Amino acid sequence: MIETSLLLVSLLAGAPRPAPQFDTEIVPVLTKAGCNAGACHGAAAGRGGFHLSLFGGDPTGDYDAIVHALEGRRVNPVTPADSLIFAKPTGGMRHGGDTVLVEDGPGAKRLLAWIAAGTPRGTPRRVTHFAVAPSRDVVDGENAKVTLRAVARFADGPEIDVTAWTVFTSADPSAVSIDEGGTTTATVRRRGQHVVTARFLDRVEPLRVTRPLGDTPVDLAAEPTTNLIDEEIIRTLKVLRMPVSPQADDATFLRRLRLDLTGTLPTPAEAKAFAKDCATDKREKLVDRLLKSDDYADYWTLRLSRMLNVHSLPNDKDGTRAYTKWLHAGLRDGTPLDKWARQLLTATGDSHTVGPANFARMSSDARGQAELVSRAFLGARMQCANCHNHPLDRWTQDDYHGLAAVFARLDRSRVVKVSARGAVTNPRTGEPAIPRIPGTADLDRAADPMAGFAEWLTKKENPYFARAQVNRLWRAMFGRGLVEPVDDLRATNPASHPKLLDRLAEDFVRHGYDLRHTLRLIARSRAYGRVETPVPGNETDDRFYARAYRRALEPEVLADAIAAVTGVSQTYAGLPAGTRAITIYDPLSPAPSLDVLGRCSRVASCEENAEGGGLPAKLHMLNGDLLNAKIADKDGRLAKRVAAGKTDSEIVTEFYLLGFGRPPTDKELANWLTRIEKAGRDGRKACLEDFVWGLLNSREFATNH
Amino acid sequence: MSATHVRRRCDGIPRRDVLRVGGLTALGLGLPDLFRRRAGAADTPAKAKSCILLWLDGGPSHLETFDLKPDVPADVRGPFRPIKTKTPGVEICELLPHTAKVTDRLAIIRSMTSPLGEHGIANHYLLTGYKPSPVLDYPSYGAVVSHVRGGKHVLPPNVAIPEFRATAGSGFLGTAHEPFAVGGDPAKPDFRVRDLNEFPGITADRLHRRREFLAEFDAAQARVDTAAPADPTFEQAYRLVTSTTAKKAFDLSDEKDAVRARYGPRTIGQSCLLARRLVERGVPFVTVLNTGWDTHGDLVLRLRDGYTGAKVGVGLVPNFDLAFSALVEDLAERGLLDDTLVVAMGEFGRTPKLNTAGGRDHWPRVFSVAVAGGGVKGGQVIGSSDRVGESPRDEPVTPADLARTIYTLLGIDPKHELHTTDGRPVQVNQGGRVIAKLI
Repeated sequence: MIETSLLLVSLLAGAPRPAPQFDTEIVPVLTKAGCNAGACHGAAAGRGGFHLSLFGGDPTGDYDAIVHALEGRRVNPVTPADSLIFAKPTGGMRHGGDTVLVEDGPGAKRLLAWIAAGTPRGTPRRVTHFAVAPSRDVVDGENAKVTLRAVARFADGPEIDVTAWTVFTSADPSAVSIDEGGTTTATVRRRGQHVVTARFLDRVEPLRVTRPLGDTPVDLAAEPTTNLIDEEIIRTLKVLRMPVSPQADDATFLRRLRLDLTGTLPTPAEAKAFAKDCATDKREKLVDRLLKSDDYADYWTLRLSRMLNVHSLPNDKDGTRAYTKWLHAGLRDGTPLDKWARQLLTATGDSHTVGPANFARMSSDARGQAELVSRAFLGARMQCANCHNHPLDRWTQDDYHGLAAVFARLDRSRVVKVSARGAVTNPRTGEPAIPRIPGTADLDRAADPMAGFAEWLTKKENPYFARAQVNRLWRAMFGRGLVEPVDDLRATNPASHPKLLDRLAEDFVRHGYDLRHTLRLIARSRAYGRVETPVPGNETDDRFYARAYRRALEPEVLADAIAAVTGVSQTYAGLPAGTRAITIYDPLSPAPSLDVLGRCSRVASCEENAEGGGLPAKLHMLNGDLLNAKIADKDGRLAKRVAAGKTDSEIVTEFYLLGFGRPPTDKELANWLTRIEKAGRDGRKACLEDFVWGLLNSREFATNH
Repeated sequence: MSATHVRRRCDGIPRRDVLRVGGLTALGLGLPDLFRRRAGAADTPAKAKSCILLWLDGGPSHLETFDLKPDVPADVRGPFRPIKTKTPGVEICELLPHTAKVTDRLAIIRSMTSPLGEHGIANHYLLTGYKPSPVLDYPSYGAVVSHVRGGKHVLPPNVAIPEFRATAGSGFLGTAHEPFAVGGDPAKPDFRVRDLNEFPGITADRLHRRREFLAEFDAAQARVDTAAPADPTFEQAYRLVTSTTAKKAFDLSDEKDAVRARYGPRTIGQSCLLARRLVERGVPFVTVLNTGWDTHGDLVLRLRDGYTGAKVGVGLVPNFDLAFSALVEDLAERGLLDDTLVVAMGEFGRTPKLNTAGGRDHWPRVFSVAVAGGGVKGGQVIGSSDRVGESPRDEPVTPADLARTIYTLLGIDPKHELHTTDGRPVQVNQGGRVIAKLI
């Protein structure tokens, strides 16, 4: 502190510049030159016998490695230019990593001055503020250039320009290239919104540069903004000059919402009633009704089970049953998500009766649980930090093993309890890891670390929990997250709409971590209600919500939809007749038809699993029994309608309503009637079967749109 | 023909122009030749029509396979000794006696190097030639080959036996180019590819009508939809189930017992045999997935024995030895080796020092890859590692270099541009250098 003030005084007095400080001035030189990157000396094992912490995360160790290790041969205060730390990177000596510092450049000069001054460590100082800004964030014209500037402030120090010491990385170098000759500039080479991340010491900040998709502004003034979602979506679209597609009709909206909230198709009666309803607030009412339905609790139990990696254990299905029953009850009762998290993180007891106690049993050890906790609750992938500090994020090895230590004493047998012993070893220190809140502070050893962690996680100010959860809800409704993938939130992987993510998270917290509240907010937005059909200017949109995005039905939802249309339910081994696939929460419950459709085995995270099952699924649709047996079933819907003497027109219309949630257009109906008539009396049944087969394989049926 | 549809893209290049080229008719087997070079001439004359990738999942130890260090302390040397091979001066692990007899056909790269030591990201790097990126999901080799060479032949252009790694699928090229996973274990007597035969009562005429009806449904959607009306995956499935010759390709009972025995009775062996049948019939890319190479403990048990007390080793390396050597020899005897590139590799090597569990941990800084056929000059070792197998000593080869070489051998111009869904051009390979000695 005193030294800092002295430094200031001397600076103000115009005195000769004092020696550079190691932590704040030399480490950035090494980072900028790439010395401490993962591919060089920042690797866990170092390189060529010289190890630096990744991106300078551990300046004390780095100082030691440079100044003291190798009997001090890396620095030579007498003839500084002969120091290994200087001669190697500047090309004066053979260096496996080639020349990375220009000999008379500012970095080299600073390094030399520091060695000449006797390699002072100086006072360790922390960065308290780091910000980056482009000179403009919207550009027009080809290859427009933007000047980048980065500023930082250390505790009690003034704001200083650190552009020269900041590492700028373009997420997509073919879209934005960085040029660092003299001033740092970014050249925008393509239309669209682009991200550049800036790293200075332990801080990472993203910055955005946009080149609009069109050359003239689009008029979005007529587009109402129902809520905060639309405000943010429209704001971005205006910058991008991208027009929006219109709102979907009732049938499309009903089918979409039904699938998103309940994983179930609307019934023909429901579709007809909704079409007839003249109330102006009928969509709002529909949202509310569906959110209160059992179908909602059934389906979202499946979604939560995926997120929490729920699966049965060998010879033990009772635990999963208790667990999913508890999740189901929570959804039905609207349990706030923070309360849920606290219970999952702290529950003990008999896993066959205490649902949340099973959370601990879904991982085989404390490290596995730490990874599940970080993925599910923090939306972060922490596993990199098992072996070394995370290369793209702030997580350190201490964070990883510290979080594992929180769960180290759990006994994960049928009756989950906290035992007296149990520790995880932090490989960095070789000592038992200290329970720690990642990125924050060690936990009190005396207190219950799980309760401590749960309390921190669910505090209103927690920067991770609410954001990770609303991002997931967003993905469930739109088919993509504001951050993708949903378990990889980090500064170097910024959101498509950062402000929207912040506002949604804040709104979620303000409304008591209520899932239904945020789902309702999304479902009522104009952004959610748009059609998929593009208008000129938004054809390429796949992340700005100018139109809706088509998504393949999940395997479970598709299987149920097929059963609903054909009127023949699928039998699943060991489960009661009539069991719907969306209620098979245990991925290890045998269901070959779901597997072939691409069901996730939950060996790894399954949240990204949205695509259909590829060629095997198509082969199954052609030749397998999932469809073929049901369509031709003598007790199935089609056989019954034929037996009841229904006309072709009645049958075609009913199947359209069942599968698509809408009646056929006149043209469609006429076409099918001609087709069926052509098949003749003897061929009628087969032709109708083929009609149903075609319907069940069509894109309109097999996708949510 | 559905291929007239053009997917809108800002550069104006129709995504499915390949279908138009090949869209004359479904020509049957052996078509790939027709599609070769459509990606433009590569730097070097290409020989390989097909590629079989033997993916040793988990990261095989270079120190227990192709790069032994007999003269270093035991904690680095490991449990096995080297043996001489057909190639003078080249020694490999004693667990690879059959492979030792075919080294005249192999090029062993001992200086592979990568900075990525975690399975997921290393998988991606090795199988795509690109390091993982937050903005782009790169396609794996098979998907690129499928995209460039694919088209209208009957067998899927990209097959995985028995399955494939999700970390390296079709990336931005879309699910249509995802590998076709046969699903079952070819070593099992009842092995068959599921759903290849018609459902009882569904005649060829009805299948044909169903396809027609489906096209009508989808044509109606095409008006509101931005994607292609014909689902290429469905088309693929349809062609496959309506061709008896194509289905025969998957039938291993068609092979003589002696041939089946030669590959070894294990999954990896019979998978390699199936791979040979497929490339014989013109499939341009086959991946054989062999798991279990993440040997953090007990090298002797896992790599040699296979189970405790085994008299004859049936661990990973002996099984690989039989399968790999049989594949190379069998292809050569059938005159297919010049046309077929065989690559055996995993995502990284293992730590030079044995750990306390008698295993080795992840080590990407140096590892080995073996390649054969497809124009590769055999009987040579490329590059070397240092004394303890810790870093490349000379001629380092990155996964990007290897990718560029593989694409070049397959006649795919590394500079050929692929396109993401939003029309962004991405080169087949970037930043790699062709390994000149290999060709």
